[in-house]
Formats: sequence, structure tokens, C-alpha cells
Amino acid sequence: MTRFNFLFRPAHWASFVLIGAFCLAAGTGFGQITISGEVTKPLTLQAADLKALPHTEVTGKDRDGKEHKYVGVPLADLLKLAGATMGGELRGENLMKYVVVKAIDGYETLYALPELDTDFATRTIILADSVDGSPLPSGVGPYRIVVPGEKKPARWVREVKSIEVRFAK
Amino acid sequence: MTISRFVLFGCVALVALVAFQPADDPVPTGPYELRYPASFGGRFNIPVDNPMTQEGVYLGRLLFYEPRLSATGTVSCASCHQQSRAFTDGLVHSVGVSGKLTRRNSMSLVNLLWVRQLFWDGRSNSLEEQTLVPLQHADEMGLKPGEAAQWLQKTAAYPALFRRVFGTDTITDARIAKAIAQFERTLISADSPYDRFLAGKYVLTAAEERGLRLFSAAPNSGRGIRGGNCAHCHGGPKLMQELFHNNGLDLKAIDPGRQEVTGLDLDHGRFRVPTLRNIALTAPYMHDGRFATLAAVLDHYSDHVQASPTLSRELVPAQAGGLGLTPTEKTDLLAFLHLLTDTVFVNNPQFSNPHIRH
Repeated sequence: MTRFNFLFRPAHWASFVLIGAFCLAAGTGFGQITISGEVTKPLTLQAADLKALPHTEVTGKDRDGKEHKYVGVPLADLLKLAGATMGGELRGENLMKYVVVKAIDGYETLYALPELDTDFATRTIILADSVDGSPLPSGVGPYRIVVPGEKKPARWVREVKSIEVRFAK
Repeated sequence: MTISRFVLFGCVALVALVAFQPADDPVPTGPYELRYPASFGGRFNIPVDNPMTQEGVYLGRLLFYEPRLSATGTVSCASCHQQSRAFTDGLVHSVGVSGKLTRRNSMSLVNLLWVRQLFWDGRSNSLEEQTLVPLQHADEMGLKPGEAAQWLQKTAAYPALFRRVFGTDTITDARIAKAIAQFERTLISADSPYDRFLAGKYVLTAAEERGLRLFSAAPNSGRGIRGGNCAHCHGGPKLMQELFHNNGLDLKAIDPGRQEVTGLDLDHGRFRVPTLRNIALTAPYMHDGRFATLAAVLDHYSDHVQASPTLSRELVPAQAGGLGLTPTEKTDLLAFLHLLTDTVFVNNPQFSNPHIRH
């Protein structure tokens, strides 16, 4: 039971902070997102491009069981920007489309396109770049999907690398 | 049709059949039927231009065990991927035609049908592409492009086999790779005691059951839960997930791993999370073979995880050293890991050296 009490020693938290600072200082060399697949304008967005897009705040419960405030760009906006069939075009066979989000470690999950569309969904799924007013920490950011209201955060993909729209065959 | 004409027709058909398929060595033909548990799922990685056929697998198996596919005529795929060791070689680094050591530890070949990014750094997206790398690496099989095809073209048997599989007896490196890839996709392991346990056909011992619990559970000191959380990255019926993580071997990685492929700093020191299937047979462990035993691997995760900036987030609760497993917990985990050995797979005659007559 006490085996994990090292987590609560301030000295160790200090070392975590130092590691984080090292990452920021060294620069991650990472911060671009590609949007591809069934879109009319495949995009590669740099960190500055993403920063310039309108941001939305949502709250969601992370693995720690606590509510956090996340700020980021709605996935719907990114998909519209790339020319995916959103809004009025999201009908008929386009309802057989889905979005695959991949992380740099190879983790991947999917969302049905209507889950991300504002005409369909009551919640806004975002590509977050900050949590509780700070940039996402190393190992989570620079970008993470946040699905507000989802009971299990397994689709909150960390270290997002790419967003791809596909047709279910 | 009179009796005599019927007999004559029968004789001609028989002669034709014997000519095509020597009775002692028939080449099976037709689509290859993959057999695997439903729980493994159907997300295969088979290129559309290389559908699996029985004749393709047959040829691929001959080529996998073919030492003529090396500059010295002494090294085949099977030199570093031996069936008895779950298709590894038991060495820290392998030795090829040049006598120099390979850079990384020989990987186990198992359930490749479901793997989408091959090598320790995931740089190859198909077995067809991957196969040519060791073939043409100066320190592995050491052939120049086209050389393997030229060698095989001069043999008595191979051109006809290639014609059977590809419709032409012109041998190319790409066709060699396709055939080997077909054989490798048949290397399905699904009959370990763990598989039988999942199917309700094996009862765990007390130690194995405790080991399974530690393997599966995430540690939670608040709730008094002990666990190794191994299954987070190594779990599922296939005991494999397509992930690349830094598992805290070094504070500064000697080998940058996946960073070389992606160019991302965040990928520094990340390597494939390998399958744990047949793990007791595939020592030594890690991409550099630094751990000789599974006990040493458990000691690493328990007590020696290095908190580098790119350390896997799944290991972060262990950053200050490790999971702090007790000797009993380590013994239990070892008992569980030995359940993953599939002796049917390592003894399957369909995967053995076809050049040796039994």
C-alpha cells in the first residue's frame, strides 16, 4: 500500500517539473497535425496555424476522476477546413464515413463523422492544446482529443499526430 | 464411352497428374485458408496484390529456409528466426554473412498477419517490404538487389515453382519477398495454455492466477490494488498492440529508435512494444538484448525504470524507479508469462525446414 507513496514526495514532483521544463526548452520538434483521407483539401497544420484558429472550452473528467477545463479547436472546424462532408453534406452515403485519429505512439481510435458534426452532436469534441490554463504536459500534448461526457477517456487520444476521414466499405 | 476408352482416359489423366504433382512432394494449390481464433479479429495486413495461396505459402516456406538467399550461401531467414525459439535466435545481436553483429535483437515472428508496422522501429508497412531489408543488408544476408533472383533463376526447381505461384517463371526480388511474406503470414500462434484458459479449457494454478491478476491490474495505492499494468500495452487475446513506447531502459537512449524513422524528438528511445506470445522462448530481451532472462526484465520494470523525458506515460507512476514488486509477485508474474508459450506453434511441422526430409 505504501509502495507508491513516492508519488507524493515533493522532491519527486520537482523532478517531474524539471523534466517537463527540459522538454519545453529542448523543443519537442513536434506540433503539426495532418488531416487527410476523404477530404477535398488535405491539410498539414503547424502549431501556429492551430493556435490561430478559434478555440472552445469544454470540461471533461480525465482518468483521475476529476473535472478539468480543456481548451482547443473543435474537430468539426478542422474537418470543415479540410473540406470533409460536414453540416448539410452529412447525409446519405456520407453517413458511412468515420474519422481515425492517430497518436505518435501508434494508438488509434475512431469516431463516426456525425459524432463530430454540430448538426448532430450535443457535445463538442475538441483537439485540446491546454488543460486548466496550461499547455498539455509531456506525454499528453501538444494535442489531445477531449470527448466531454464520455465515461471512459480511452478515445481521448494523447499526442495526436493525424486525423483521417475514411469511408466504411 | 467404351470401357477401354475410359481406362485409356484414366491412364492419361493419371500420368498427367503424376507429372504435375510428384507423389512424394505434391505442391498444394488453391486459396490458403487462414485459421485463427475469432477473438484475434479480422484486421489483417495483406496487400491486395499478394493474396495468399497454398502454392505461395509452399514456395515461401522453401525460400524462408533457403541459404542460397545469402552472399555466402550459408544464411537463411531461419538462421536468425529459428522455430524452436519462436523464430528468434537466442543471441543478443545476430551474426550474418559479414560476421559483424546486427544492430538490434532478432524479433520473434508470430501472428504477423495482424502487424502493420514492422521492425523494432516500425519503419516498414508490409512484410513484402520488410523481407528485402535483411536480404540486402551487408551484415545480414548480404545480397545486392537482383542477386537473389539471379541465383534462384539458375536452379532446377525454383522457376517452375514461381510460375505456379505468379504465372511466370521470371524470378524477381519482389516475387521472392511476396512468397516469403505469404509463408510468414501463416505463422499463427493461438494454442498456448493462456489461449486454452481464455477458451475455458485450462485451469490456472494459484500462482498463475495471481500472476494474471498482477499482469492485468493497474496499481492503485489509494485502493490498495497491486498490479504491474502489463496488459495495458501487452494485453488482448493476441498479447500484442501496435504501439511504440520508451520503456525507461536508459536516461538517454543509446539507440534513438523510432525517432530515426519519424524525426520527432518525442519518439526518442521509443521502440515497438513487442508481443509477449512465446516470451519465455525468446531471450534475450529488449531491442538490444540487454536482459538475459525474464526475471531481469521484471526487475527492470519493478526497480530500474529510468525517468527520461520520453518515458512512456504508462510507466510514469513508476518513474521514481519502478513498480516495487515483491519477490513473490515476481514469481507469480513469471508463472503467468510461462503460460504464453505455445509448444504446438514451435513444433508445428508446417513451419519447419522443408529442405530436410523427416
